Formats: sequence, structure tokens, C-alpha cells
Amino acid sequence: MRFGGHEPITALEDVSFDIDDGEFVAIVGPSGCGKSTLLRIIAGLLEPTAGSVTVRGKTPSEARRDVEFGFVFQSPVLFPWLRVLGNVLLPDRILGKRNPLAVADAERHARGLLRDVGLEGFEEYYPEQISGGMQQRVALARALSYGASTLLMDEPFGALDEFTRDNLNIQLLEVWQQTRSTVLFVTHSLQEAIFLSDRVVVLSPRPGSVMRIADVPFGRPRDLTIRYRPDFAALNGELRELLQIDAGAAGDGEVAPP
Amino acid sequence: MTGAGAGTRRRSKWRTYVPAILLFLAALGIWELWVVARDVPTYLLPRVSEIGIELGEQGWSLFRHLRWTMLEAVLGFLAGSTAAFLAAVIFVHMRAVEGALFPWAIVLQTIPIVAIAPLLTIWFGFTLVPKVVIAAIICFFPVLVNTARGLRSISAQAVELMSVLSARKTAVFWRLRVPSSLPYVFAGLRIASTLAVIGAIVAEFTGADRGIGFVIIQASYRLDTKRLFAGLVLSSAGGIVFFNLIGLLERLTVRWPGARLQES
Ligand SMILES: Nc1ncnc2c1ncn2[C@@H]1O[C@H](COP(=O)(O)OP(=O)(O)O)[C@@H](O)[C@H]1O
Ligand SMILES: [Mg+2]
Repeated sequence: MRFGGHEPITALEDVSFDIDDGEFVAIVGPSGCGKSTLLRIIAGLLEPTAGSVTVRGKTPSEARRDVEFGFVFQSPVLFPWLRVLGNVLLPDRILGKRNPLAVADAERHARGLLRDVGLEGFEEYYPEQISGGMQQRVALARALSYGASTLLMDEPFGALDEFTRDNLNIQLLEVWQQTRSTVLFVTHSLQEAIFLSDRVVVLSPRPGSVMRIADVPFGRPRDLTIRYRPDFAALNGELRELLQIDAGAAGDGEVAPP
Repeated sequence: MTGAGAGTRRRSKWRTYVPAILLFLAALGIWELWVVARDVPTYLLPRVSEIGIELGEQGWSLFRHLRWTMLEAVLGFLAGSTAAFLAAVIFVHMRAVEGALFPWAIVLQTIPIVAIAPLLTIWFGFTLVPKVVIAAIICFFPVLVNTARGLRSISAQAVELMSVLSARKTAVFWRLRVPSSLPYVFAGLRIASTLAVIGAIVAEFTGADRGIGFVIIQASYRLDTKRLFAGLVLSSAGGIVFFNLIGLLERLTVRWPGARLQES
């Protein structure tokens, strides 16, 4: 992927991997290596300058038109004029659920999702009135609300404190356990990547290319204590080393210490 | 926020008005005393109490003039703001049209309305039309600029979100652009509401048989400063009421917390 402009930037090069239906894949890499760009290409928001992506047999823009994707950004991107419930219902409104039965159904579903992400009782609050962590939960519920087959998450919990992030990781896994959609989860925390995913894709510094695809050997359901297991630490250390050598060379290490 | 909190806020809001009211009363008092002490002739500067008596005696007839002026101002405001809103919508969706037409909007803005008003009066006579047109012209620019800015005040990520949801352009417009623009639109409308009254009065100066502008011009020919001041008081009262009505409409429309521009 190359961006034009004054100084053309090659953001991604030689990125190739397959993801199974229902798989949870984490993507880690130093800042600026093209992780967000990769997600945008997959979501059909950006056309790659070279190469191709296939999502369940469709091109990304076809898949986007069929509303196959849920997207969670690093910032919540809530509409401040809609209440929490209204924000979660936004996709349904846009997708045009008009008949009263579907509307009632959608609302029950949205309330259920808000309960799942720990926001019961906050349905009628405005985004401005709740914390950043809660806003991101709303964004998560919104992305899950319309049965998208693929969830794309771009450092969704990167701006949150450690405890909130742990909490959200657990809730994300619980909700995902029920829906089993395919998830691509970008993060700069190796620990988060390993804890959540079935596989971790490690990208090199810009131009991002795949350095390593690591299988995560832990069964599900998982809880936070797996982080203390020696094999967790071993995998974490191995990937960190991989990232640090290259990031060190680029002078731009972003991966946070555990 | 608790009910008690809201209550104290209302009380303290009143308290913030107290100095303003006291200062205003003091200024009127000084004016009155100064005119009496220096024996200033009424045709130069009437006493406050004389203006008050004039308002009391002539109140009803002056009020009928004010009603006429306000009608012109409100009609002009509605026409100008509607045109500005539509122009902003077109500008935001068609850059080329904006490039071609925005210079015209600036030209329109920079021509002094005092210069256009007599021309319009020549064309349309002592009718309502020139006043409404002038009020509309004067409202156009602030509403245009603010609305265009508001319609553009959406984040790239919000657009991406809509795109992920495969939203049509109309959905992006009504569900994202318009709500985002409302605080800006109202900022423009508030400015326009006071300008509209001024525009109507200026147009009345150039040819009218009623309205506050007519009252003021007539009074000035006769050196009747009492009546002139009474006209000023009423026109400013009209402007204040209009301004506050728009503010009320804003509070009813833009209800989400943290939305109103002036509050941030
Ligand atoms: N629209 C764009 N135009 C030009 N350059 C861009 C654009 N978007 C991203 N880039 C550049 O591409 C590189 C990768 O960006 P990004 O995908 O955001 O990285 P990451 O998410 O891994 O931090 C960066 O160097 C960035 O400056
Ligand atoms: Mg990024």
C-alpha cells in the first residue's frame, strides 16, 4: 500500500495471511507500520495500490456494501446528540428496520448488548455524561448490534487504563463467545494480543510486512490468570524480542512493557 | 446532576445579573441627574424620565410601528436564513459551486446595505419588499458561513463509521451532518436575529410610511429627541426579544450536553 502526496509513503508491503471464519486474530506492530491502514483496506474504506483482499469470497467494498463489518476505532466515535441506547441502535436505524416488530426487537437486542458490556442502567445517558471506558463499551455494543460477520478493531482499548482494559478484554471474550464472529484486533500491547487471540500477526516497522504469525496455544474460555503461566510469558518474551530488535533498528519502539 | 445543584445554579445565575442591573440603573440615574444639573436642552438630550413618559403616552402607537418593523425583520430573517442554509448544503456537497459562488457571497456581504437600500426602495417603492430583502441580505452571510462550517464539522472517523454501515448520502446528511451542524447554525441565527432588525430599520430610513425606522427619521427631522430615543428603546427591545426567542429555540432543539458553542 502506497500513499501519494509530497513524499509518497509505502505503508504496507508484502502482507499476506488467511483468517478462518470465527477466528480471533490479533495484529501487533510498531506505531506507523500500517496497522490502521491494513484494517481500512480490509474494511473496504481504502483501495490498496497493489494486492488484493477477499472477505468471504467478496471484495472488501462488496463486503462493506453488504454490511459484513463491525468497526471499533481507537476513539469511541459516538454521536453526542444520541443517548447511549440511540447510539447502539444507530446501525439498525441506518439499515432501515422500519416495521414496529423489528424495531422492538432491535431495541431489546441493544439493551441486552448494553447489559453484556456492563452498561445496564446507562441506556438514557448521553455520551458526554459517561467515562471514556464506558463510551468505548458503547462503541463495542454498537459494532456488535447488527450481526456483522467480521469485527475490525483498531486499538479499541489503547486509550484506557489497565484495569478498564482488562475488564473490557474479559467482556469482549464473553460476548465473542456467543457471537463467534471473525475478529481482527489491532493492539500495541502484546499481552492483550496473546490474551485475546487465537493467532498473533506481528508486523515489522514501516513498510509493514508480516514478520511472524504465532499460534496462541491456550484454550477457551480464558481468564486473566493465564497471563501468569510460563508458556504465556515465554510467547510474550519471544514476540517482544522480535519486535524490539526491529523496532530498535527503526528507533521507534511502541510496544509497551508488560 | 442533582435537582439541588440545578437550583443553586439558577440562583447564582440570577446573582450574576445583579451587578449588570445595578450598573444599568446607576447609568440611567447619572444621565437623569447630569441633564438636570447641566440644564441640557431637551432637543439635544432628553431626561430619562421624559423618554419614559413619552413611551408611556405614545406606547401603543409606537408599538404598532415596532410590530411592523419586526414583521419585516422576521420575514427577512426567515428568507435569508433559509437561502443561506440551502446554499451551505450545496457548497458542502459541491466544491466547484462553492468556488464559483462564494466570492459573490463575499461581494454581497461587503456592499454596504445603506447603499443598496435606497436602490431597492426606488425599485419596489414604500412597500414591505425592500425591507424584507435588506433584512434577508444582512442575515445571509453569517448563517451561510456558520452552517457551512457546521456541516463540515464532522470527523473523518464518523464518516468512516457511516461508510462501514453502508449508509446512503441522505442518511449521512440527516443523521450526521445536520445534527453536527446545529450548534453552528444557531450561532449564525443568533447573530442574524439582531442584524435583521437593524436591516429592516435601515431600509425604512430610505422610504417608509410606518415602522420604527420611519419613527426615528420623522423624529429626527422635528428634533423630537424624546420620540427618537423612545424609538431606539423599542427597536432594541425588539432585537433583544428576537435574539432570546432564537436562544429559546436553540435550547429546545440542541439539547445534548456539551453541544452549545457559547458554553465551551
Ligand atoms: N491517508 C494517508 N495519506 C498519507 N499517508 C498516510 C495516510 N494514512 C496513513 N499514512 C501513513 O502510513 C503509515 C501507516 O499508518 P497507519 O496505518 O496509521 O499506522 P499504524 O496504525 O500502524 O500506527 C504512517 O506512516 C502514516 O503516516
Ligand atoms: Mg493506527
